Amino acid sequence: MAAYLTTDWTSAFLKKRILFSTAFLIRIVLVFYGVYQDKTMLVKYTDIDYHVFTDASRFITQGSSPYKRATYRYTPLLAWILIPNIYLTALFGKLLFVICDVISAYLMYSILHFRGMGSDKACRYCALWLLNPLPIAVSSRGNAESVLVVLVVATLYYMENRSLVKAAVCYGLSVHMKIYPVTYALPIALSLQTLKDPETEALGNKASSLLSKRIQKFFSRLLNRDLLVFAVIAGGTFFALSLIFYSMYGWEFLEHTYLYHLTRRDIRHNFSAYFYMLYLTAESEWSLALGLAAFLPQLLLLLLTSFAYYKDLAFCCFLHTAIFVSFNKVCTSQYFLWYLCLLPLVLPSLTLSLKQGLGLLFLWFAGQVSVPQCS
Amino acid sequence: MAMALFYLILLFKSTPSDFTTDVHKHTHKGDKGYCSENDWLESFTVIRRLINNGFHRELVSHVQCAAAVPEGSQVLLLEKLPQGVYVDPYQLTSAQEHSDTQCLCVQVLLASEIDLEAPAYLSSGFSALVYASLDPQCSGCFTTTLPVHARYHRPAGSGEAEQRVSIESPRLLVRAEESTLPLACPQNKVTEAPCTAQNHSLCVWLEIHYQQELEAVSLQIPVGDQRQVLAVCTGTLSVTLLCCCMILGAVWKHGHFQL
Repeated sequence: MAAYLTTDWTSAFLKKRILFSTAFLIRIVLVFYGVYQDKTMLVKYTDIDYHVFTDASRFITQGSSPYKRATYRYTPLLAWILIPNIYLTALFGKLLFVICDVISAYLMYSILHFRGMGSDKACRYCALWLLNPLPIAVSSRGNAESVLVVLVVATLYYMENRSLVKAAVCYGLSVHMKIYPVTYALPIALSLQTLKDPETEALGNKASSLLSKRIQKFFSRLLNRDLLVFAVIAGGTFFALSLIFYSMYGWEFLEHTYLYHLTRRDIRHNFSAYFYMLYLTAESEWSLALGLAAFLPQLLLLLLTSFAYYKDLAFCCFLHTAIFVSFNKVCTSQYFLWYLCLLPLVLPSLTLSLKQGLGLLFLWFAGQVSVPQCS
Repeated sequence: MAMALFYLILLFKSTPSDFTTDVHKHTHKGDKGYCSENDWLESFTVIRRLINNGFHRELVSHVQCAAAVPEGSQVLLLEKLPQGVYVDPYQLTSAQEHSDTQCLCVQVLLASEIDLEAPAYLSSGFSALVYASLDPQCSGCFTTTLPVHARYHRPAGSGEAEQRVSIESPRLLVRAEESTLPLACPQNKVTEAPCTAQNHSLCVWLEIHYQQELEAVSLQIPVGDQRQVLAVCTGTLSVTLLCCCMILGAVWKHGHFQL
């Protein structure tokens, strides 16, 4: 009787409306708790990045460049979006990030539902994001990761629905905001290729199995209307935004938004496997060669996984981001959200046993905890 | 009249990078008796402490005067901080804005731009004017709190696990009502500096010598071991290459390749 009641209670809780409302409420409560903690305690709840964004927005309202704020290394679009922080309330940004967080969960739910999953089961997977303390803490503290998450998940959602124009706009925007989604270009392109026609395929196989012919056929399948539409719109969105901001802020915009992240070699401690090596060789002439040695495994793995798994775009993107983050020269705790947001989409098709899953989770936590101890 | 002309000349003199201008000693005959009466200026003690642990510390300076301090006196500490530490101007601005009750109001004027991210070997020392506030705990006491952060240092070549960064003793400047300060006495060093951290106007301050309770404060900063560079590079690259090969193998085996 008790067991039946418990299952009934949990399944009622995981009903879509209750789950989403609860998740939203938890985040709002934490945002207001953050206000209280900032006022009364020495350790502040709000992340330092939030103050950086707000200061940059303030510079914009004063008519100057957001890059006047030291350590502002993001697109000016973010500072522009957060202008209400100055005119309305300092909490506007946090509320926006919290809303984006919940919207991205809703998009995850929609993707799972579109694939044929029942509402309750889809809610269970989305609870992994909605009730997960990591995204809750990150958004309520004022990090802008949820804006990027909503753009990436929206891209995947529109790709599932084959609304290519909307997918392309979201993708172009996401690449403008952070560089890492650019790795998704290859899987997306491969997934948009013309499906092989079985008859012509059989004929083709009989005719010639030369590698050059097969590569030729591959490229001809790739260059189709869908891919061209996507490429033009995504590329157009990205370049239009870049052009607008370049005309407003000049070289500074390119330097801080893109170049800094591409050449970033942070000798201050972070989660990257390469951190100590880069710290010790910061001033040596081997620094460039080592940077390249660190980049090549990343590149090779990304290329291979694109060709191996492009059919399941969400899984491919998940692998891409996990590989990118793990093999990157710099890794901060926010980077983990980049692949965590795709986990609810990937989990349903995984055949890991519960024991294996928990074991992997334990290893992940152990890695997280051990880094601060060693550094 | 002579004094007025003298100060007028001072106004047109350019100020050096630390905001202060030393005023040349101006001898004034017949003031010898007045000059030896100011015992309170010789009874200052400064106690310095660096609180907290790790890379983010607070430099607390406690200025005490054994004798009675004239009403309305102000105390200014001229800090010369080494390249191994830095001060975050944004943190200071937000502390002033929120007028934190946790730390007594932070009133600091920085003389130059500070790079928040540069390592120690690419940075230089800098000056900071720290305006002390009255400490309610005792009379004639002033206190200041300056949040400092340590920079990352070069890895040590000789195996030391830590590097010591010393913060030298500050110059102590005092300002009070004109009549109570013996500005014209030959043994006193007169300096010009901003009146408050808002830097709206310049005032004349008197630099005084003080007793310092303890040695100069310092902090120990952990540094890497340069001797391990070969082992670390080999180890890191082997592990990452191994992981790369493992993933490549798994993807090759289980991936759905179709060309």
